[in-house]
Amino acid sequence: MNCQECHDYIDAYIDNELDVAATIQVKQHLRACVECQQLLEARKAVQALLGNPQVSFEAPDSLLGKIQSVLPVARSDVKQRSRSRFVIPFPRFSVPLALAATIAIMLGLVYLTQRGMFDRSRGTALAQEVISSHVRSLLATHLLDVPSTDQHTVKPWFDGKLKFAPPVHDFAEHGFRLTGGRLDYFDGREVAALVYQRRLHLINLFIWPSASGHNTAAESFTKDGYNVSHWDRDGFSFWAVSDVNAEDLRAFADLAMQQS
Amino acid sequence: MNDEQTRARFETLLLPLMNDAYNLARWLMKNQEDAEDMVQESYLRAFRFFASFHEGTNCRAWFLRIVRNTCYTELGTRDPKHKQVPLDSEIDEIEDTSPLPSVRLSQKTTVAAVREAIAALPVDFREVVVLRELEGLSYKEISEVSGVPLGTVMSRLARGRHQLHLLLSDRKQHDQL
Repeated sequence: MNCQECHDYIDAYIDNELDVAATIQVKQHLRACVECQQLLEARKAVQALLGNPQVSFEAPDSLLGKIQSVLPVARSDVKQRSRSRFVIPFPRFSVPLALAATIAIMLGLVYLTQRGMFDRSRGTALAQEVISSHVRSLLATHLLDVPSTDQHTVKPWFDGKLKFAPPVHDFAEHGFRLTGGRLDYFDGREVAALVYQRRLHLINLFIWPSASGHNTAAESFTKDGYNVSHWDRDGFSFWAVSDVNAEDLRAFADLAMQQS
Repeated sequence: MNDEQTRARFETLLLPLMNDAYNLARWLMKNQEDAEDMVQESYLRAFRFFASFHEGTNCRAWFLRIVRNTCYTELGTRDPKHKQVPLDSEIDEIEDTSPLPSVRLSQKTTVAAVREAIAALPVDFREVVVLRELEGLSYKEISEVSGVPLGTVMSRLARGRHQLHLLLSDRKQHDQL
């Protein structure tokens, strides 16, 4: 590879967009050419300056409301919706009816559990809950209870708030900066949520004690446009969810698995 | 799916992208008020096209393309000159051979200076730089959003970064004087 070709490829090289063969060629050329090394340094310097999250503009708080008001189909907002669920009129016979329904559902669950079907549908429901929780954390102001980039601040914060001590690690040097943690609640239990930042994107990592205690390989999938990765390790269940691309989330899952 | 479900699904998929949309619009329009208008207009358009959105499509690229086109349409009606942007080939054939200054970029350069430099880029370069460096899109996604081929994405990004380096090192020299 000559200098001109190296110039043509240098941007794709730093963006990890080259195939393996071309990457090796660029690397070989860089080892031998001081000028191209300087170009690489210059590109990285620009990238580092633009990598500061403050360079991006954040939407004003009022924008969400404006958007919701211009969208057609008047729909009550999330809060009102969940409230309306509780004002279903209760006729007098509803208690025995509810009791009967509960028993029927319980019998059904016992049947499903025995058939081994429950776990699978529970996995899907859990994935949905994990994604909903991720979306909620982005929309509401409840993203962080303890905003800190220091794992030694975040970890003790969970002490006394949870019955377990989640593993907390920062992966800033790999491009996944710990920005804090919060308590979340789903699947009938309290869970730890660690929030990481990848460029402008947030990753929620949910952690709670696993039921089985076995270690499992990471299982990754995409649902509703979100990438989700899930694994069990050292007695904990881990669920990572984000809108970063699948590759980045896998890299994140690998890092988290190595650490725990 | 009834109207309420459609709207709920639309909100779940697209409202979390509001900051991405705003950031792109803000950089293309260069002011807050226009950016807000463009984002609202984009959500309205996206809702209208939502029926054509298929499960498995890259939602972010799909929506940012709408935002991008909404902004370009507006810029085009304001300034007809903008419509006569030179063809891709013309822009991309202009060789930018000015050598990079040997000064190292100070990593203490202020956010304001960095923003000013990005704003000074021609819109076609600015767009690609913002999508890559601030939004973290892959080349393929940038190509989808901007509707230009991969090779053009690559050369615009190279040109954009090169100009940024020149602008920011000029700045440094000024600061030192």
